[in-house]
Amino acid sequence: MTMTTTELLFSAWRFDPVAPAFCAAALAGYVALHRLPRDPSRVSPLGAHRAVCLSLAVLVLFVALLSPIGTLADGYLFSAHMLQHLLLLLVIPPLSLMGLSAEPASPTRSEPRPPSLAAPGAWLAGVSAMWVWHAPTLCNAATRSATVHLLQEASLLALGTWFFWPILAPRREDRLAPLPGIAYLLTACMACTLLGIAVTFSPIEVCSAYLTPIDALGALPLLRGTWGLTPERDQQIGGLLMWLPACLVYGGGILGILARWYAEPEGEASTLPEEVP
Amino acid sequence: VTTVVSPGGASEEAVAAVPVVGASEHGHEESGVYAWVATVDHKKIGILYLLTALVFLLIGGSEALLMRLQLAQPNADLIGPDAFNQLFTMHGTTMIFLVAMPAIFGFANYLVPLMIGARDMAFPRLNAMSYWLLPFGGFLLHFSVMAGGAPSAGWFGYAPLSETGFSSSLGTDYWAMALLVLGIGSVGGALNLIATTLTLRAPGLTMKRLPLFVWMVLVASVLVVLALPVLNAALVMLLFDRRLTAHYFLPSEGGNAVVWQHFFWTFGHPEVYILALPAFGVISEVIPVFSRKPIFGYSFVAASGVAIGILSFGVWAHHMFAVGLGHTLDMAFAGSSMLIAIPTGVKIFNWVATMYGGSLRFKTAMLFATAFLIEFTIGGLSGITLAVAPIDWQVTDTYYLVAHFHYVIFGGTVFALFAGAYYWFPKMSGRFLDERLGTWNFWTMVIGFNLTFFVQHFLGIMGMPRRVFTYPDLPGWGTLNLVSTVGAFAMGASALLFVYNLARSLSRGERAPTNPWEAWSLEWAAASPPDPHNFESVPPVLGQRPLYDLAQAGSKLPQIVKVRRPDKNKVLVLSLIASEAGFFVILIFAYVLYNLVHEAGPTAASVLDVKKTGFFTACLLSSSLTLAVAERELHKKRRRASGAWLGLTVLLGFIFLLGQASEYYGLWHSGVTVSRNLFATTFFTLTGFHGLHVLVGLVTLGTLLGLVLRGDFDKKPSSVLVSAGYYWHFVDVVWIFVFSIVYLRAL
Repeated sequence: MTMTTTELLFSAWRFDPVAPAFCAAALAGYVALHRLPRDPSRVSPLGAHRAVCLSLAVLVLFVALLSPIGTLADGYLFSAHMLQHLLLLLVIPPLSLMGLSAEPASPTRSEPRPPSLAAPGAWLAGVSAMWVWHAPTLCNAATRSATVHLLQEASLLALGTWFFWPILAPRREDRLAPLPGIAYLLTACMACTLLGIAVTFSPIEVCSAYLTPIDALGALPLLRGTWGLTPERDQQIGGLLMWLPACLVYGGGILGILARWYAEPEGEASTLPEEVP
Repeated sequence: VTTVVSPGGASEEAVAAVPVVGASEHGHEESGVYAWVATVDHKKIGILYLLTALVFLLIGGSEALLMRLQLAQPNADLIGPDAFNQLFTMHGTTMIFLVAMPAIFGFANYLVPLMIGARDMAFPRLNAMSYWLLPFGGFLLHFSVMAGGAPSAGWFGYAPLSETGFSSSLGTDYWAMALLVLGIGSVGGALNLIATTLTLRAPGLTMKRLPLFVWMVLVASVLVVLALPVLNAALVMLLFDRRLTAHYFLPSEGGNAVVWQHFFWTFGHPEVYILALPAFGVISEVIPVFSRKPIFGYSFVAASGVAIGILSFGVWAHHMFAVGLGHTLDMAFAGSSMLIAIPTGVKIFNWVATMYGGSLRFKTAMLFATAFLIEFTIGGLSGITLAVAPIDWQVTDTYYLVAHFHYVIFGGTVFALFAGAYYWFPKMSGRFLDERLGTWNFWTMVIGFNLTFFVQHFLGIMGMPRRVFTYPDLPGWGTLNLVSTVGAFAMGASALLFVYNLARSLSRGERAPTNPWEAWSLEWAAASPPDPHNFESVPPVLGQRPLYDLAQAGSKLPQIVKVRRPDKNKVLVLSLIASEAGFFVILIFAYVLYNLVHEAGPTAASVLDVKKTGFFTACLLSSSLTLAVAERELHKKRRRASGAWLGLTVLLGFIFLLGQASEYYGLWHSGVTVSRNLFATTFFTLTGFHGLHVLVGLVTLGTLLGLVLRGDFDKKPSSVLVSAGYYWHFVDVVWIFVFSIVYLRAL
């Protein structure tokens, strides 16, 4: 008898002690760090919106790793893998960065730094996290080997944080100026779109491991039959996820930059000396 | 004042010194046709754009009226099917590329420098070139009539209908070449507008205080820079198919016709917003002034323009619901298309909220702006219905769609352009347009427009197909079509009334003062019409409404906020690189796509010599290093060393081109030509266009070598070599991708 959707949603949770422990430790550490009375003048109080962002990041991490999304990503569905990939790379890192509180800037370094290779490096890190893990060999390896899968998840979180640092770093002087910031996100969106389009329309399987899942749960008839997710359609959904929702995140980031910029009082942008035209 | 033509540099002063239109206030000047043809003054170029658009509006409008005459009755035989196909193709192409875009570029050209307190555009000569490509493109398109028939495959030229097998006359070739020429001109104009806006703003005019019209033109220019290259690449492929017997879009030969649709709409949907965003900008200027209130939610209007710009690249497949892309794709694009309605819809509320509680003055400009709100909202709502894929399947290619996009482009863009014309005519000419004629113009236009297009919603739902030269006498169809035709002629009469108003007001209109509408943006501080140099002195900008803020500030002026202005050469070249990158992305994409499956005939693995090309690749890549050294030597003021390294750069680039030439010669000798198979076609297109870019880079660097040796950069540091260097490095980076994808993958 075929499993029903409800049964799947209830049974496909994983009980892995490592992730909850890690999350609990992260949250506790975060709260503790904000309570430390070491130098009260340098640490701003834990604002409510920051706490919400960080709690959301932890919650999404739970969902991405332990919920049926994580289970299905583990060899069943390419689209579930892509959803997990997006959550780890594009949702959790920005949320955690927004949860960090800003130390007041030291008075000696109030100007944005001169351009360096830090931002292109971060851009490359973020974009290659999308491209490299979808090279067929690596994608298959990550579905077959638990170690590679763990490595993938950890690297996505790390690379995502690296990528969003020039946009969402707690201190203003670590961030890109608005216009380069917009270009940074827009080009990332385009790079992501290109791969998304390729995956959506490619007649070749990106991840052949998803063609013939090892059906430990007995969920395959439900996925292929009731849900109608043939391997082709599954890959299409995966490609579309990479293409449209991913770009919405980058686009949202651009709007965030604009909103932050408009909210700054006039004159803040004038710290640089006026050039002679 | 006399015409100053300064050889080399200082081009901002090189403005032809004739008052723009109307009576001369500057004594004796050079005037007549020459002053207009040779001008580099942004105001004259702006007016040339607007007049060209007006001429083509009358041509494109007449084509529409001929079609409406044929459709006035069922089973009419005034115009045959072939002529009808040519008419709707020419009408669509003309209205988009020769009317709407030039009119927008005209207003942008005229107003952006004035609104930001600049003397001219950042690159006046580039500006003149961008304009003159417009009449050239228009001429090419219309010359087709004499060369065997106008194009007849529709304004989106769907393959394979646009291939030689189905469109054998030269019309489609002229169409494709005209669009290429117009596309290059548009990109040039957009690059210039970006550079002008970012680098020439007056003191105090930060980006947060930029007039919303300038903001929207900036976003639209970015869209032009990114979207037009996609069309250009597709047109190049279509021309390869037609003239060099390649098979990009011919399914019978292994090509793919749907790819044309993807390419066309990747350009085509952003194009809708290229037309709509500047219109939003006009409305955002007109409504506050005639409501006597600042715009409601300035930052939202600006930021949502950016959001619309980004989203516009992610919705194109909603033009292709009927192609059969599959439910998954249809659902995804239905979703993204509805999303774009949100920022657009909220803008409407911004404008309504601006009007709410204001003391409204319904001059003609405001009448058109108010009508815009209503007509554009109707077009937006029918757009949401079309985003629902099942509804789209029912009404696609019917008059429902015709009604929808005319409400968006005519009811939206053109109404806004009329509002802009009535609003800014006093600035351009020093005289008001006649308000009584204007009121007649407005009401005949609104009534005619709604008569023409509202009934087409019903015709579409009843199933009347568009692009068919006649229709059977079904119940109601004849009556509704007759109503539509009557409305169209009312619009035609209204357009003639507008032309008459222009002509009459130019000579006999009431004289306009400097700031006739009591507006507050900087262009109203310049004389009406503005002097050739625009401003004697630019008023200090203290906020989002400069003239109002200045009046409020009284005698004690606060400190002027400093404005950050990037280098104009760098901005121009970096924007150009973004555009060219788009072009190459499409070519590389096509190469990968068409080489996924191996066909009979040569392949990369069987005919390419990777080692030999590897050597030439090393030459090209090392030329980036030698150029960097040349830049450093120039920076240290060592002219001869810099010249030597620059010379080496040119030599290395030249060796690369020789290598490519010998490779092509060898391939040609072994029978590998562009029409042999899809590998050969895509290979020659991709590497050939890269070679062309290397050649352009060589000419640029060679010219700079001459300037360096002559000592032009000795006195004043210049960003020219560094900016040209950006382009050269970009060409090398493109080759890294080409070499990896074409050559290394073949190993």
